[in-house]
Amino acid sequence: MFQVGLDLTEPAVECLIRLCGWSAILLVFGIFYFVFREALPMLGGKLNLVEFFTSPEWRPAAEPEPHYGILALLLGSLAVTGLSMLMAVPLGLGAAVYISEFSRGRVRETLKVLIELLAAIPSVVWGFIGYMVLGRIIIRLTGTPLGVNLLNGSIILALMSVPIIVSVGEDALKAVPDSYREAALALGASRWEIVYRVLFPAAKNGLLAAVLLGVGRAIGETMAVLMATGNSLRLPDGLLHPVSTLTARIAAELGEVVQGEPHYRVLFVIGLVLFVVTFMVNLTADLVVKGIRNERAA
Amino acid sequence: MNEPPEAQSADEQYVLRWPAAEGAAGQTAYPSLSAALQGLSRHETACLRGDRSAPLPPWEITCRPLHGALPGRAAASPARPRYVYHVNARAGHPLSGLGGGEGTEESPWWGLATAVEQLTRLDQVGQIQLGAGQSVRLAHREVFTATSVERWKKLKENIARLVFLAAALVLIVPMAAILTYLLVQAWPALSFSFLVENPRNYMTAGGIWAPLVGTFCLVWISLLIAAPVGVLAGVYLNEYARDNWFTRIINLAVVNLAGVPSIVHALFGVGAFVMFAGMGRSLLAASCTLAVMTLPVIITSTREALAGVPIAFREACWNLGASRWQTIRTIVLPNSISGILTGVILQVSRAAGETAPILFTGAVFFSTLPEHGLGAFFPYGPGDRCMALSMHLFTLSTQVRGVTPALQYGTAVVLIGLVLAVNSLSIGLRVYLRSRKKW
Repeated sequence: MFQVGLDLTEPAVECLIRLCGWSAILLVFGIFYFVFREALPMLGGKLNLVEFFTSPEWRPAAEPEPHYGILALLLGSLAVTGLSMLMAVPLGLGAAVYISEFSRGRVRETLKVLIELLAAIPSVVWGFIGYMVLGRIIIRLTGTPLGVNLLNGSIILALMSVPIIVSVGEDALKAVPDSYREAALALGASRWEIVYRVLFPAAKNGLLAAVLLGVGRAIGETMAVLMATGNSLRLPDGLLHPVSTLTARIAAELGEVVQGEPHYRVLFVIGLVLFVVTFMVNLTADLVVKGIRNERAA
Repeated sequence: MNEPPEAQSADEQYVLRWPAAEGAAGQTAYPSLSAALQGLSRHETACLRGDRSAPLPPWEITCRPLHGALPGRAAASPARPRYVYHVNARAGHPLSGLGGGEGTEESPWWGLATAVEQLTRLDQVGQIQLGAGQSVRLAHREVFTATSVERWKKLKENIARLVFLAAALVLIVPMAAILTYLLVQAWPALSFSFLVENPRNYMTAGGIWAPLVGTFCLVWISLLIAAPVGVLAGVYLNEYARDNWFTRIINLAVVNLAGVPSIVHALFGVGAFVMFAGMGRSLLAASCTLAVMTLPVIITSTREALAGVPIAFREACWNLGASRWQTIRTIVLPNSISGILTGVILQVSRAAGETAPILFTGAVFFSTLPEHGLGAFFPYGPGDRCMALSMHLFTLSTQVRGVTPALQYGTAVVLIGLVLAVNSLSIGLRVYLRSRKKW
């Protein structure tokens, strides 16, 4: 069949594909724009930013003068994230090393699939496990009256962020050329010496990226933290005391506020803070990974 | 044994046995196969002259290793001593000056004669100064056995292996235990009617049909939005985009979009879909939010799947005069459909489990549903608010009083089961298709 005239399918399709390709950029800007738009009326002078970041007083409903201080929430997020990373980083990197260097064949595939399934469990289920199961275990072991607390949230978060640390860390170890391993082996190094003296230095950027992505995941986690930390407004002052985080506070209060009033807008400001923080963490992780790739290529 | 002198330097010898028919049976060893064959030809002439009435037994040339394989021979061979000798030189010992040199455990003497000779030499030059009660101990060990350094290295390696294995197991074993516990707790509630009944009595009784339908609607609508956009974006990144700063920014955006916290997605959904686009809190707004959230998963996996198609496939197609889009449609996409599907399925499981993004954009704790008729089975339109399984679990466990634990655990188990089933499907598909890959 002969085609007469211009065939417009090709340019039209190409245009559509291009548009979809740009969608990621549009969406990142869109997220920033729409969160910023809702937060803007508060940012324009109404919100005392110094108080916002340094005061532990979060009393958005107080009359006549509400207090919007997120220090307790910031420290809560930091404490939960830090504590969970203390558990998740050694475990995650250890598991990554085991999968990548010490296991092979069927064992390796099984472990990888299991870790993948660990990653698939929804965050609300993790929260449920923390709330219903881990909380009771903590009460029984320590005798504390409240099972949902900093420790509980951290353990749950650690388990949640481990899969990403394992998979990115394993990729980083796999990216080290085999010739490095062979050279070390030829010099008489044992497997542990290869890991410790050769692979860790060679893959340190990738491993750092794995940790950063884990941190990003932990900071941004909402439902599990909301259910497992107890969501109580106080400065984090003990493993067995409940805390609250930035994410959990938004989730707990957004449903109760009236759209357009200051409290509602302040929640969007918190969202903006979260967006910027996770953006920075992810950007750093990405640059770190790109760094190695360029180094390799050079 | 009749052994030619040159055979001693070789690693093996060739032994020719001749049969008794020639008279005296016997054997001779030769250093090489060709030498043995020459010997054979000399015997042949002798043989042909003999009595030929009896059938001739065959000649035989056997290759016999000189070292190791035959018992007792390796030790006898002077070229490869079986034992090495070393002095235990510790700090403060009269011989400690030797450390790191000859005669230590890492660098032993080969053979007793050498050891004695060297020790004598050291004594003559005054290296060995024995005080009262001090002794020089000459230790020996077999060649190729581990020294204390090597044993220590091996021990460290085994400890490291155990520690790393423990790290992996600490992740998996408690998880398996908890999942089992959940299943046991949920067992009384799990039944077919649990799945198909709507919640009753303020959610303290009944089943989970309405939330289940809500989750299905959310997942499918978000899939309808995210899959085409995500796949085309993956096509753009792998097939059209050049390696320049703009592409790098797109990649960065994809990575960051994947890292945006789910609650920020919820805020975005409220700001963009609920308020700005005027959808209100509805199934549609919630699905759009979920679609945005799961888009990076699809983009990344599509790009990886496309990158797996060899460039030669495309070149062959271009050479036939096909355009870029024709190539993609007829060659690239069909060859990478498995990888793309894997990503799409992963998106489904992700979307089914998420709670935070739908919390304020369309999901509700409870919606009153008609008792009977079609409305009880398909309760939601795109503009309605809906219940969802993940949200239902959150509500049951934290917001409502008087819910029996079995109901809570049952909901959790159904949600986990749903997500894990979808994930296993994706993993199974990946394994199956990897095994049938044609290139």
